[in-house]
Amino acid sequence: MMSIVPKPKATELSFEEVAAKYPQFPRLLLLKTDLQRRGVYYTKQALSKVDPVIHQLGGTHIFGTRDGILTQRPEALILRDGTSVITSPTPLEQNPYIVDFRDGRLVVMDGGVELEEVEYWTKPDYYNLTTSSGIPMSHVASARPQRIYLMPSRYCHFWTDNQGCLFCDIVNNLKQQKSELNLPPRLKPQDVAETIREALKEPGRFTAICLTSGSDFHGAEDFDAEVDYYIEILKAVGENFATPKFPSQLIATAFTEKQLERIYRETGLLSYTPDIEVLNERLFEWICPGKARWVGYQEWKRRMVRAVDIFGRGRVNTCIVAGVELAKPYGFNDEDAALQAVLAEAEDLASQGVSTVYTVWVPRPGSYLRGQKNASLEYYVRLALGLQELRQKYQLSIDHDDYRRCGNHPDSDLARI
Amino acid sequence: MSIIFSKELVELFAKKDTVKVLATTDAKGMPHVVVKESLQLNESNQLIYFELLESSQTNKNMVHSIWFNRPVAVALIGTGGESYQIKGKPVKSIVSGLLFRDYYVKIREQLGDVDLAAVWVIEPVEVIDQRFNIRSREEEIRHPYFKHLDRLAK
Repeated sequence: MMSIVPKPKATELSFEEVAAKYPQFPRLLLLKTDLQRRGVYYTKQALSKVDPVIHQLGGTHIFGTRDGILTQRPEALILRDGTSVITSPTPLEQNPYIVDFRDGRLVVMDGGVELEEVEYWTKPDYYNLTTSSGIPMSHVASARPQRIYLMPSRYCHFWTDNQGCLFCDIVNNLKQQKSELNLPPRLKPQDVAETIREALKEPGRFTAICLTSGSDFHGAEDFDAEVDYYIEILKAVGENFATPKFPSQLIATAFTEKQLERIYRETGLLSYTPDIEVLNERLFEWICPGKARWVGYQEWKRRMVRAVDIFGRGRVNTCIVAGVELAKPYGFNDEDAALQAVLAEAEDLASQGVSTVYTVWVPRPGSYLRGQKNASLEYYVRLALGLQELRQKYQLSIDHDDYRRCGNHPDSDLARI
Repeated sequence: MSIIFSKELVELFAKKDTVKVLATTDAKGMPHVVVKESLQLNESNQLIYFELLESSQTNKNMVHSIWFNRPVAVALIGTGGESYQIKGKPVKSIVSGLLFRDYYVKIREQLGDVDLAAVWVIEPVEVIDQRFNIRSREEEIRHPYFKHLDRLAK
């Protein structure tokens, strides 16, 4: 049914070799990590088992897919331990895992070998509804198994000056989503309030709300426009809660203390995640030119540390696009050196109350770094173990960005035990 | 091959006054034993229980067990002297989806304003009748030396 899977390069350990070398790393999380690293390909049989009435189809992601197709495929997978696998459909020639339907079960295959039974995500009830202004609620908020994901603005103003992050395809994806799905580039608070209200009616479905957008440096002070908009949206979300604070996460630009105090004081937000993307100053300046120009690496770090005073220990973290520090031509040449540098910076942050999580770098076709290769599976395992060890060493909780509230970080999945 | 439960054991699971205990271990082997009233059988002859606290030690230990293929044990004690031990392995943690929603609604109807972290599914691998008269008979046959001689004296 499937093509022969090319073996990894001789210098790169196979899945089984990594599993044997790191027995302390759960096999299910190893599979998740590699599914994210290599992507998946759905067979016709697997796609025939997708029921649009029950299952959640893709389409409203902030980032694009590896094969450039937005819709009509399952949003993602869930493993039997409850682990979410957010991964992208990938062309066969790129050696993805195969999701197939065999003997009455949906399974992940590799090289003709069945590895695990998986399930598709279930569609939330509100996906069937539209707001009073006529927008499908699935276009207002996307869902993970337990998280409501709001992307209030899908435009990143760094792209205006050609200073978008090199791994990112947010604006190219927005263009595609606008033309193919008629997705609104900027949400209205009323649509958000109505969507959240409906989402909360589904018992036992959601445990957290996450907001993220592209950066917007406009305003009296840099990024005031972005801050004002988040406050507006968070207030609309908060209308639906009986408590002043609610489990929530803002993934945004590194704001000043004054801006963060405003957000914390005026909204129900509980946690803050300004993504630094790459933990190395030299590479930050190359890979994140907009962030480097408008904030700067050291200032980004300083603002994250100051945010701990506002949100509290364990409620401020940052995400890195793991593997991009190895991107050519300016990235690290070997994984050992990259790992050492990244973990040293992560420890500097952890010692000051800021936790680091990672997502697996996917060299998307709509990004500047398209066509490159991400890191080895062993690299991602070592990084996950290293980041979780730092959280344990500095006693940092990651509840707001864990396997359930997020599900996109193999390292914070480890915090379940 | 899956375990077939006796009628008595099935009934014991269903009785409200049966004491149901779940024993797990953490990553370092530290045991943890708690009463789990929600332990029951599902339609596939597997054990399930409702984990209400996501951060509980039991929940962490169950995650550790499903990740590293470590067994857990369940003890059932009935009011009529019935006593069983069931060893098994966690095979699934239901944390979302339609089935989870059904369980979530059900447990809140039963217990009021509680949360549901997971519904754990345990595949039984061994059932031991722990009633003393049964166990002592088994052991005497296996280990005829393991007794004091005065018990055998004329």
